[in-house]
Amino acid sequence: MSLSRIVIVSLFALTAILFAVVEWLSRRENSRIPSLGDLSGFVMQYRVGRIPVGRVAIFGFWWWVGWHFFAR
Amino acid sequence: MDQPPEATAAAARAWDRPIVVLPVFVLIALVGGLFPSFSLLANLLVLAVGGTMVWVGMSGRAGRRPPPGRLARGAGWWMVPVLLLALVELFAFSKHSIDAYPTLSLLADPVLDQYLARAACYFGWLAAFWGLVRR
Repeated sequence: MSLSRIVIVSLFALTAILFAVVEWLSRRENSRIPSLGDLSGFVMQYRVGRIPVGRVAIFGFWWWVGWHFFAR
Repeated sequence: MDQPPEATAAAARAWDRPIVVLPVFVLIALVGGLFPSFSLLANLLVLAVGGTMVWVGMSGRAGRRPPPGRLARGAGWWMVPVLLLALVELFAFSKHSIDAYPTLSLLADPVLDQYLARAACYFGWLAAFWGLVRR
């Protein structure tokens, strides 16, 4: 395994750890950090006129994630 | 586009409960785990399931949690893992080297080639999608 591969894999692992840590911090009592779910919910409220842009964007992104990992 | 009826989680329909949807997700995940990437059936299942989720989520047919009124001040902390993920992924993608600089999907492929891991990840994707639908 090359050094560059080890670095890349380590950075992805660090990212996963950071996601878990921030989510854990958000769930503490009186936390000033919103949970990922609350953050998603806030983004999903965003509308331009009558078009729910935030909702479309979040759904579209998650749909694409599933397609990317499970279908191609 | 009309505003969908805002149902609260408490007023959810009979089918809109974990005891109903989770077994359905398990079944879909067990079937979805059987289909390899690039197969027609894998594409059709993701399109059908994702399309149904989007339809339910956009039409407001599932109960929704009350949205947060305003964002807590510490929301910026989420930018740390999000930006790191984006930067590492873009950097690896820009190198065009599968072995030396693998992207996340390249690293995930050997894991997702195993049936149980693929089915478990499929279930996670569905459960998270359902969480978004109810937001």
